[in-house]
Amino acid sequence: MLKKTAIEKISQLAAVLMEKGTLLAPVKEVAGHNFAEINDPQKVDLNFYNTIISPKGAFFPPKEDFIKYKIGKTITEAEQIKVDSKPVFLFGVRPCDVKSFSIMDIHFNAAGIIDPYWSQRRKATTIFGYAYDLNQPVDAADFYNSLGIYAADPEGSDIFMVKKDKDLLLKGITPKGEELLAQLNTLVDAGKDDEKYYEETLKKGKEYKTRFLCIDQDVIAKKLEAVFNNNDFWTKVSSACLSCGACTFVCPNCYCFDICDDTIFGKGTRRRVWDACMFTDFTLEASGHNPRTQVYQRLRQKINHKYSYHVKKYGVISCVGCGRCTRSCPVNIDIYSIVEEALKL
Amino acid sequence: MTDFKKIEENLKKEAKRLLESGEVTVVLAYGKGFDEKHPMPFAAKSVADVDNIVFNEYCNYNMARYLVRYPQGTKIAIAVKAADSRAVIQLIQEEKIKKENLVLLGIPVIGMKNPKTDEVIDSKTTCGMHNPVLYDVLLGEEVHGQKIVSPYDVLAEYEAMDKDARWQFWKDQFDKCIRCYACRKACPMCYCDPCFIDQNKPKWADKAPQSPGNIMYHLTRFHHLAGRCIDCGECSRACPVDIPLYLFHKKVAKECEEMFNQVSGMSIEDKPVLVNFRVEDSDKILE
Ligand code: SF4
Ligand code: SF4
Ligand code: SF4
Ligand code: SF4
Repeated sequence: MLKKTAIEKISQLAAVLMEKGTLLAPVKEVAGHNFAEINDPQKVDLNFYNTIISPKGAFFPPKEDFIKYKIGKTITEAEQIKVDSKPVFLFGVRPCDVKSFSIMDIHFNAAGIIDPYWSQRRKATTIFGYAYDLNQPVDAADFYNSLGIYAADPEGSDIFMVKKDKDLLLKGITPKGEELLAQLNTLVDAGKDDEKYYEETLKKGKEYKTRFLCIDQDVIAKKLEAVFNNNDFWTKVSSACLSCGACTFVCPNCYCFDICDDTIFGKGTRRRVWDACMFTDFTLEASGHNPRTQVYQRLRQKINHKYSYHVKKYGVISCVGCGRCTRSCPVNIDIYSIVEEALKL
Repeated sequence: MTDFKKIEENLKKEAKRLLESGEVTVVLAYGKGFDEKHPMPFAAKSVADVDNIVFNEYCNYNMARYLVRYPQGTKIAIAVKAADSRAVIQLIQEEKIKKENLVLLGIPVIGMKNPKTDEVIDSKTTCGMHNPVLYDVLLGEEVHGQKIVSPYDVLAEYEAMDKDARWQFWKDQFDKCIRCYACRKACPMCYCDPCFIDQNKPKWADKAPQSPGNIMYHLTRFHHLAGRCIDCGECSRACPVDIPLYLFHKKVAKECEEMFNQVSGMSIEDKPVLVNFRVEDSDKILE
């Protein structure tokens, strides 16, 4: 089923979705766009390239409260915090980011490792994928083609959206998506030419080229393993790195977290917060020993984890080439260039 | 207008000379990035590395940030624009580095740009000075005849807000913070290891990216930089969500200057203003 709406009237669609559940969509902020919970349907803004921070927060929020507790003299009271299972609509996700969810599922939603918070949210969420605008230039930092992902790839979305001039075309991909689409009464049926445009866009998406590293993931994984001890190389490529958390916090595929008890006057919350392998204290042990004291060790870990260990263990690279880490790095460290250089060694 | 190409040439020439003669073992400068608009901080360690050096209007980085990474006594040459030279001076005052181990390659420049917005970086987000305060070699013509703008002019609008509005302004800003710590990591004066925010015993603030932890992190950091921030603007530029940290730093710097009549990072003879007791110092801070 293909439906459409004028982009101008997107707030009407937003309002309908807000009646049905929680709407997460791109909004414009000072520094650019980010996904946010929509309270005012006028705020939804599809005039963006990609968001600064990835949409992973929809399933893996920067802060997740588990337990509220009160420490008493004799007994400690504790109460578990449940995830709200209201339907969620994640609206306007680029194909590379949609792909990232399935890679993250390996860690939060696979046999043996079901994270209840991630999996409940995944179940409750309908994903509206959104093709890149093929009439706009590709950003120099992107390289999702290398990972076999294309600009107008509907895979993984429940509903896939394509921009056609002033209109938005919406196609049901999964049964969940089809069902929802049929209920959205602000949409109208698309015509024959729209059908054609939609199909052509999917095809043309393959011609919309990002930077391209000929990636045979096993070759890369082996190469990175082989150069692990080449300290000169790692020192050189990390000499500018500040060892901050910007790259991992914006990344759709970074999933490290820290569990902490934030307590004040005997009352507190046990929660998890995003953590980053680039932080100095990430590997600090209780004894005081820190196996990764140097910046190069941390950057090497970040890259090897994504491109080597992850491939060996799970058979897939833990990066979708969205370019966010490069765009947000205060010193322009580019993960793509580092992998490329390693391959030349 | 600044001749960026000329400066790049001179920078390469000096780097080559210093490395060849063994006068220094590392030259902290700027290198090629993945495209021209995205150069990177670069440490040249051999003559062969010199080819990679570039200088253009996007080389904003304050290279003084990297000085404390090298063991004491390492002979280092460092490219410094105006604010960067002030960071070096401040670090010398704080005894983190010694002048005798450094060669300062001064870069007078006007027209540096923020690559995200392509706006010229001036006194709004930085100290707005054009000529390095301290240098051993000058790599270009000094900039003169520019209208002098106070780095504190940008505060006017903000100072006009009443107390509640100002507090609300900062609460809204801090709510945006994702606690990636790029700001402290980009800052040449944030060299503490461990930083108070990473400590567990005692734990000074919540880890979660929300108030009150965010407020605690930023207010403490602002005050740890009182009289030390040299207004290079790197913290704000590093922030992925564009929190205007420079406003707070400038406000603190302005108050400090008014109270103690000393500007940070202007002379290696000065003592850091908050660790130096002078009988004539203002008591306003105690009021
Ligand atoms: S590593 Fe960088 S390019 Fe890859 S998914 Fe993460 S942010 Fe995107
Ligand atoms: S690569 Fe860039 S964003 Fe990542 S830790 Fe290093 S400086 Fe920070
Ligand atoms: S606080 Fe910001 S402006 Fe001040 S020295 Fe540090 S990075 Fe520069
Ligand atoms: S760089 Fe910005 S988002 Fe990151 S910790 Fe600093 S203020 Fe917060």
